Amino acid sequence: MRYISKALIANGLALAVGPFCIAVQAQDYIDVEAERAAAAETQPAGRADPYGAKPAQSYPTTSYGIGAAAGTQSQSAANNNPQANMAVADRGGNAGQLLLQVQQLQQEVMRLNGLVEEQGHEIRMLKEKSLERYLDLDRRISLLSGGEAGAGLPVMPPAGSAAVEPVASANVGNNAPVEQPGEAQAYQAAYSLVKAQQFDGAVQAFQQFLRDYPAGRFTPNAHYWLGELYLVTTPADMEASRQSFMLLLDLYPNDSKVPDALFKLGRIHYDKGNRERAREFFDRVIQDFGTSRSAAVKLAQDFIRENY
Amino acid sequence: MKHMSALLLAALMLVSIGTRAQLVIEITQGRDNPTAIAVAPFAWQGTGPVPEDVAQVIDDDLARSGQFDPVARGDMLGRPSSQQEVFYRDWQAINAEYLLIGRVNVTDEVQMRIEYELFDVARQTRVLNGYEEGHVNEARMLSHRVADEVYQQLTGTRGAFATRLLYVSVTRVPNGKDYFRLTLADSDGARPIVLLESREPILAPSWSPDGKEIAYVSFETSRPAIFRQDLASGAREQLTNFRGLNSAPAWSPDGNTMAMVLSKDGNPDIYLMDLGTRRLTRITRHYAIDTEPTWMPDGNALLFTSDRGGRPQIYRYDLRSGATTRVTFEGSYNARPRMAQDGRNLVLVHRSGEGFHIALYDMETSRLQILTNTELDESPSIAPNGSMVLYATKSGDRGILAAVSVDGGVKFRLPAREGDVREPAWSPYMSR
Repeated sequence: MRYISKALIANGLALAVGPFCIAVQAQDYIDVEAERAAAAETQPAGRADPYGAKPAQSYPTTSYGIGAAAGTQSQSAANNNPQANMAVADRGGNAGQLLLQVQQLQQEVMRLNGLVEEQGHEIRMLKEKSLERYLDLDRRISLLSGGEAGAGLPVMPPAGSAAVEPVASANVGNNAPVEQPGEAQAYQAAYSLVKAQQFDGAVQAFQQFLRDYPAGRFTPNAHYWLGELYLVTTPADMEASRQSFMLLLDLYPNDSKVPDALFKLGRIHYDKGNRERAREFFDRVIQDFGTSRSAAVKLAQDFIRENY
Repeated sequence: MKHMSALLLAALMLVSIGTRAQLVIEITQGRDNPTAIAVAPFAWQGTGPVPEDVAQVIDDDLARSGQFDPVARGDMLGRPSSQQEVFYRDWQAINAEYLLIGRVNVTDEVQMRIEYELFDVARQTRVLNGYEEGHVNEARMLSHRVADEVYQQLTGTRGAFATRLLYVSVTRVPNGKDYFRLTLADSDGARPIVLLESREPILAPSWSPDGKEIAYVSFETSRPAIFRQDLASGAREQLTNFRGLNSAPAWSPDGNTMAMVLSKDGNPDIYLMDLGTRRLTRITRHYAIDTEPTWMPDGNALLFTSDRGGRPQIYRYDLRSGATTRVTFEGSYNARPRMAQDGRNLVLVHRSGEGFHIALYDMETSRLQILTNTELDESPSIAPNGSMVLYATKSGDRGILAAVSVDGGVKFRLPAREGDVREPAWSPYMSR
């Protein structure tokens, strides 16, 4: 172990000792990694410098033109230790100095390489997610506007229809909200924005709708659509979406949109990485609405089959 | 220095127990709803003393999988050894879902035959019967094979009990050089055989795909060198002796090539050695450290650990296109990849917050699941049927082996009776 570490340091590879050692003995790697992490915390710009004394970025930035962040770092390093900075600059022609510079550049390139990899990954994930969300919403909208509401799908007034049918007749009799004057028109206006895929506008319209009609007949629907919309706007707001769906569950536990909201809550928790919590919601959809003809039941069953 | 007392203890134990590092299994976490199975003691039809308690070996195998809850012998109301003697009511009464019975015989003094029958108690039918034959010295291995058949019949997954483990045990010597022993044992830790003993470190044991040979790194020549060793004959051969690092040998799935890490050209990079011609091909060329290669089961790609992105992460090298792509993104540290035979489940050492844990990364869904909750877990190795992951961890001051199922539901530990145990390598399926 010690022999190898020394050999590496001699080769100017001390920074890399960590990953290398795992091949030799993982325990040592862990120690080195922990030390490195500790060093990184106390000295963000420096990492574990093999030559100890000098700050990692102790050069005048102007002649290197690295990024702005690196510039700030080296500036603060220079401010902290102007004497060392001068001394380093004086020995610029020294071969050891060059080696150090190369190492520092390599470290910097590795760090940036990692950053680029991670950002590329993040972008790929975002693209996939937003496409998935859009397809999900699009599918639901096209199902609804295809007049298949009678087939047990979430009940939604047909677009543009002036005479709106009563939503969720099961609700009538147990605190069914009563339609307010002008409510149907306002709801339709907001909903048409969803259909036109003007999601930002639709969010505002539904928010305004909730301010105007906090206890209307379409209020549960507005909560539901806000929950959906927060997921497709850019950036997606999972927490706002979750709250909208939870509001629907808490305020209107008998609403026809409850199974759909439960399914979406499951999806949100799943995307947040909480598989167990997500599973509770999926199970609830199946357990509470398995006998109903809600499309959410099948979605939940499919999702469990594919992901659990 | 803090290990001093443990070292002293280990030294005392060395004196009193000897040099064998037998592993003892303790189940720490089982499944919520295991299948109740009764393994009745197998009838001994030979003469002389019983060579092995076959039923007990099977019983222990099934219990260790976490998927079965064997009935205690004391609760059994009968000891049937043939179908005529099976009274289903006796077994329904003790809530056994399945019943395994059998007979053991040895002919010509060495030829052992185990016959077994498996019954579904609720349906009152025989669901499996068969036999295993072999040398009486292999009695335990024959018993493991019976357990494999039962496991496959009842779970649908091929059993991996008739497999073997390689590990390195270290006996600490205070103020002196430690003893390193490369040890081969059955999958239950029994029958340990020391393959190589050295005062210099032994590392990175790995298996050939047919399970007949092993490779490892030994420092016995004062610098790290890769050796291969034939298990049947014990013949060994030094494959590399380059300046610097020679490490992490990994046999290709076809057995013709070995991936390894060499630093002869500067810093550690991954090379392939054609085992026929000994020709080396360098496949990574980066000033970052590339190490711990492992093969995809189709042999067309390698996974390895690299810190080319500033921190250790897993990368995939495609042997056909030569393209390198990053695989893991979650967490600040992912290393030591080992691929399951399904080409989908990848086990690795993961760090995101505190500690180093064994995690399972699903190559298809890109989801990472942390399997262990101990702090310093390392060197995961996956069973050939992909059901369990063996890894090294710490218990107190000692290095022990532990295992966890790939869904995190079943856990057991295999602490050695003495010394530290590390670097486990689970064998592939053994050809008969």
